[in-house]
This record gives sequence, structure tokens and C-alpha cells, in this order.
Amino acid sequence: MMNEIGEMVQLELRDVTHCYNGKMVLDIPHLSIERGKIYGVVGPNGSGKTTLLSIMNLLIRPTTGQLFFEGKSIHDEDNSRMEIQRSMAMTLQTPYLFDTTVEGNIAYGLRARGNPRKNWTAIIEDALQKVGLRGLAKRRARELSGGEVQLVAIARALVIDPKILFLDEPTANVDLRHIHQLEEIIAAINGDRGTTIVLATHDLSQAYRFAHYVFPFFEGRLVPSTMHNLFGGTIKSSPDGPYFDTGKIQIWILQEVSSSASTHISINPEDIIVSKEPFASSARNRYEGTITQVVDQKGRVDLVVNAGESFRVQITEHSFRRLGLNVGSRIYVTFKASSVHLL
Amino acid sequence: MEYLVEAFGNSIELIFSLDGEIYGIVGRSVFFALTATFLAALCGVPIGFLVATKRFRGRSGLLTVMNTLMALPTVVIGLLAYGFFSRRAPLGFLDLLFSPTAVIIGEFILSLPIIANLTVSAVQAVDPRAILTAKSLGAGRVQVAWTILMEARFSLLAAIIAGFGRAVSEVGSAMMLGGNIRFYTRTMTTAIALETSKGEFGFGLALGFFLLLVVFSINILFHFFQVKGRQ
Repeated sequence: MMNEIGEMVQLELRDVTHCYNGKMVLDIPHLSIERGKIYGVVGPNGSGKTTLLSIMNLLIRPTTGQLFFEGKSIHDEDNSRMEIQRSMAMTLQTPYLFDTTVEGNIAYGLRARGNPRKNWTAIIEDALQKVGLRGLAKRRARELSGGEVQLVAIARALVIDPKILFLDEPTANVDLRHIHQLEEIIAAINGDRGTTIVLATHDLSQAYRFAHYVFPFFEGRLVPSTMHNLFGGTIKSSPDGPYFDTGKIQIWILQEVSSSASTHISINPEDIIVSKEPFASSARNRYEGTITQVVDQKGRVDLVVNAGESFRVQITEHSFRRLGLNVGSRIYVTFKASSVHLL
Repeated sequence: MEYLVEAFGNSIELIFSLDGEIYGIVGRSVFFALTATFLAALCGVPIGFLVATKRFRGRSGLLTVMNTLMALPTVVIGLLAYGFFSRRAPLGFLDLLFSPTAVIIGEFILSLPIIANLTVSAVQAVDPRAILTAKSLGAGRVQVAWTILMEARFSLLAAIIAGFGRAVSEVGSAMMLGGNIRFYTRTMTTAIALETSKGEFGFGLALGFFLLLVVFSINILFHFFQVKGRQ
């Protein structure tokens, strides 16, 4: 099945909801995953990313809604359900390695698929080489470090050559050295094999570095904006219009949903203007603050500005140099009421 | 005191003289207990697995019954089985009373709740991520079940060894169902009871040493597997 721009839709969710103890934790009217692409599912902890991945990997059944794999509806009774599940793989946020050797763990999926044992050695060696763990085949899995565990989990998923690989927070519990290694491996899996990858992460910059598409996720729903500058608070009314009260600052917004409603807002870092002096403009939100962090993102610079609330702002390297900014610089952050997204 | 020292000396002499009757009794006891434990494991492990992994009506009641059965006195088992196997009883036609099979059945009934209960605990202790991981790697139902059992293997072995310990050391049902027949159904425990009542304290003590040796070995193995299971 093709989408409107002619790309192959591999997995599709329609009107999927999921409830735990009567509480709805996931509500996806529509979501499609195209073949060979990398998707980043971003959102704070508890936003439903793992539930979404588990439903897509057919590990749990949604309370309502339907899933389609390569255009065909997946039914509970259908014998092909297992076949479809076997064409996908998932690594958990904290991967579980079986109480055996590294080799035994990697062979698990091969054994489950009835792959002849004589083929295993070469496949396992190849997978271990790809994740940079060559020579560790005979090591007990429980003796590995956190980063190595994550790499073995990826190698274990790789040997079954999945059409879609779901990675749940693959770098959440690993050290910096392994994070870079993992990111390179994930990019290579997609680049070399054309494997579709769905990556759940709370690290927005990681999602944007990798993904062709990013799905911002909040409280079980897909939301239109990114998850940076996410503030909780209440919407209030005033003669000048509605505003959002975070408890520390007041942010002008466009829509008035309901008075005193407790909710969240987000502001795209790219929508925030940085200046050394206040300037006249139509933008209603302006706050003075101090730069507390500067992160070089190759070509652009991410600033964290404490202006009552902590704002993440994205500017070009050129602007950063031109304004002569650094940690401790006093600046103004300005954005329009229309840049504030109610979640 | 002299009496005890003499009995102790006699028992050591019997052990090192490789007395055929003593070694026969030891061998028979171990064989009965091993057979009963093997059969109890065949039934108890699947029962424990199902109780641990399935949610069904009456599950909590079943768990209470299984726990109660663990503490069932051996003579009660002997009495109940006797009621079924004696000549006029429903299973009297099988002619099992006072046979090795009857002893094994008694020991099986004693071991079963222990193995089943400890299997429930062992399976419930397996990390839930093991099931998710197995499923996400394409394992079917049987493969997932096998994976859980493999992850719990050390605790399961400990459960089976505990079942063997109960079988080899019981006396009540073996006496009532086996009849303590020489060279046929006499086990270490029934022989100790008989020889002591006859005044053959040395003979009883020699068998007591063997029984202690078996139980001690079982406990070492049990401890080893429990430690491995916790690692």
C-alpha cells in the first residue's frame, strides 16, 4: 500500500487506543510507518512511547483500533500474526539478556525461527562484529556492562534481519562512549539494510539527528509540536487575553480552552528569538534571562536560558558568534503567542 | 554411655563391612525416592508453571490448598492411600498394597505439592522482561514457556531436590503402604524404626548415618542451586 506521495506504508495504526485499569494511556487516530525510514518517537517519561512500540510490535493488543502490515489488516485469530511479529524485533529500554552466553542470546531468534544450527556461528560472528563485540560470543551475558548489554540486544535483534526494528530508549542507560557507538550502529542498520527503525527517546536532539520523521508524543497522544520548552500550569483569563501561568512566569497564548484548566504547553526552540536588547515587535512574550548552557550541534547552537523558566533556544552558529554570546550572558528571549502550543 | 559407644562402633563396622542388606536398603530407598521425585517433577513443574502464569477463577484457593498439602503428615497420606489400595478398596484390584509401587505412589503424593509450590515461586521470580523479550524475538507460546523454565532452572532444580528430600526421609506412608517387607519394600526410614524397636541400635544407627549423608548431600545441592538461582 502506498501513501499519497507514493512511498510504501509498512505499518499503519488506525483509531488505536489502549487503556490500563480503565484509564486511557494511548490514543492514536492515525499513524503510518513507511519502509526504510527512521522514526523518532519523542516525549517525556510516561508519555506512552513504550506502549506504542509494544502495540506496533504486536506484543500487546490495543483496547480498540486496527493495525495494518503492508496493507493487510492484522487480526488476533490470524495465523499470519505470528509471521508478521517475526518480521519485526524490539529492544527494551532496559534489555533483558537470558541467563546464558552472549552467543546463546544472539541465537535466540534464530532458534525461534527454526534456522539450522549450522548457520548460527557465521551469523552470530557477523552480528557481533557489526556491534563491535567480536570475540565476546562465549562470555556469560550477565557479566556484561550496561553498554555491552544494549549492543548484544541490538545484535540479537539484527540476526533475525527484521523488516522493522523498534528501539525503546536505546541510549538511556549507557555511557557516553557507547551512546556514540550505538548511534552509528543504528544509522548503519538503516543505511546498509534499509531496515525501518522506530526509535523511542526522550532526547529530542537524538531524534532529530537520526530520524526522517519525528513524532512528538505527550500523554498518549501525538502532538503537533516538539517536546522542548514543555511547561505545566493553568490557563487564565485577563482583559488583555488568555495567558498561561506556569507558577513562575506568565506566557501569552492565543486560544482560551477553559478557564483554570490545568494543562501543558510547548514552544518550539526555533520559534524563539534571541536578542541582547529588547526590541519592538508584535511578539507578546518577552523575558530577560541568563544563558546557563551552550551546546554546539554542528552548524547550530542550542542555548539554555534561565528566564524564570528554563527555555531551550536554537540559533545558528553565525548568530551565536555575531551576538558574542556565552554562558552567563544576559539576553532577551522573545516569541509570539501563536508559537505556544497547547497540549 | 558404653551402650552408645558400642552401638556406634557396630554401625561403623557394618558400614565398612559393605553389608549387603544395609546397602540394599539404601539403594532401594534412593531408587523409590528418585522414581517418585521424577514423576512428581513431571506433574508438579507443569502444574506450578500454569498456576504461576495463568489467571483463572479459584486460583487463590488452589494456591492455599497447595500450600496446605506441603505440610500434610505422611501418615495421613499413608492412611488415605491405604484406604484406596487395600483389598476391599476401590483400587484393591490393582494389588498394589505392600508393593514398591505403593511406596513410590505415597512418596509421589508427598513430593508433588512441594515441587508444584516451589515451581510457582520460581516462575513468579523470573523477570517479566524475559517474556517480553522472548515474544519480541518471535518465540511462540511453547518457546516462551520453555524460556521461562530455563530462566528459572536453578530454582526449579532446588524445588525438585526439596521434593526428593521429602520423599527419601519420610517414614509414615512407606511403612503403611510398603509394609516394611525385607528385601522388597524396606527403606532406610522404615528399617531404622524396626531395628531400633528390636534393640538393634547399631544397625539402625548405621542406616541413620546413610540417611543423614543423603539428606546432607541434598541440602548442599539445594543450597548450591538456590544461590545460583539468586545470582
